Amino acid sequence: MSNSHNTPTEGNYIPETYIPHAESHGTKSLWRTFWILLGITIIDFIIYFMAGASMFRNLVFIALGIVKAILIVGIFMHLNYEAKFLRWMIVLPAVVFLSYLVWFLLLEGDYVSMMKY
Amino acid sequence: MSNSSAVSSSSIWKGGRSPFNVSYGKLMMWIFLLSDAFTFSSLLVGYGAIRYSYSGSSTPWPDPATVFNHFPFLHGLHLPLLFVSLMTFILIGSSVTMVLAVEAGHRKSKKEVSKYMFYTIIGGIMFLSCQAWEWTQFIEAGGRLDSNMFGLTEAARQHAEHLGLGDHIHLADADKMPGPVPFASLFFIVTGFHGFHVLSGVVINIIIWLNVIGGTYERRGHYEMVEKVGLYWHFVDLVWVFVFTFYYLI
Repeated sequence: MSNSHNTPTEGNYIPETYIPHAESHGTKSLWRTFWILLGITIIDFIIYFMAGASMFRNLVFIALGIVKAILIVGIFMHLNYEAKFLRWMIVLPAVVFLSYLVWFLLLEGDYVSMMKY
Repeated sequence: MSNSSAVSSSSIWKGGRSPFNVSYGKLMMWIFLLSDAFTFSSLLVGYGAIRYSYSGSSTPWPDPATVFNHFPFLHGLHLPLLFVSLMTFILIGSSVTMVLAVEAGHRKSKKEVSKYMFYTIIGGIMFLSCQAWEWTQFIEAGGRLDSNMFGLTEAARQHAEHLGLGDHIHLADADKMPGPVPFASLFFIVTGFHGFHVLSGVVINIIIWLNVIGGTYERRGHYEMVEKVGLYWHFVDLVWVFVFTFYYLI
């Protein structure tokens, strides 16, 4: 398997064994992401006790959750540094279908609530 | 990236190279994670719809602060959110050790990869233990797949509203009545499904860790397997962010 670091030049590209050369980007951004994630969790904690339950508070929690998700997927899962087509292939279906699903089922929940109570 | 930026996007699709500039295994891992994201989203969105449908009901959805308010060794204290925050901290911590293992793999440092993977496995086991404790508390307090005792009587609800939600409310058994069934069953299903992912992540991590120690990847010349299991592990962390948000914060 010593030839698995082959560069994508014509002739020796074998899809099944192709491994792009991986480089270390250092640990600085990883630790920074960790501290940001920890900070956001602490902010969640503070908001939870400082503000009473309300729809606005819920939206703040969801927004902070999405920020955490972007950091995890982008930095920890390395998607920020992947090829453009890979990024879109993962992000686009998730964003499109999930926003549709959320909208659709909130409508459904509202309707059920209206019929039942 | 230097490869893909040098070539215009039209020639990327003409063959001879991967348009995604990524190995086959990693691409498939991404596609699996995308499908798994849909599975978890269906569960969470379904939970949202059911919870939303209880607005205006005579048995309203229980306030998480009155249900998940225990902490180990601190009996009888009302401590909402503290224990799950600790669980979140453990999972984020194990995520960072995983990504450090991946980074060490890029430098082909076998010693560091095995060290950080070991920390990750310990973090995963700690998280699972926390979840087992959480489930035990929940079941002891009356959570079942088909019923729960987290509903409040009218008098207790008025009392709780008077104090303000999230305040120090001590519920006597007389204040409780059967609450919405999906509250408990969805808790078991979603956290159980996530916990099972953590469990399989720990098992896969152990297998890869043993391979690292055994020198499999050193002989292979790259630590890409660590990257793949790392993707899975971060995904588990990602799902927990939303479980934490929708079950405990909101």
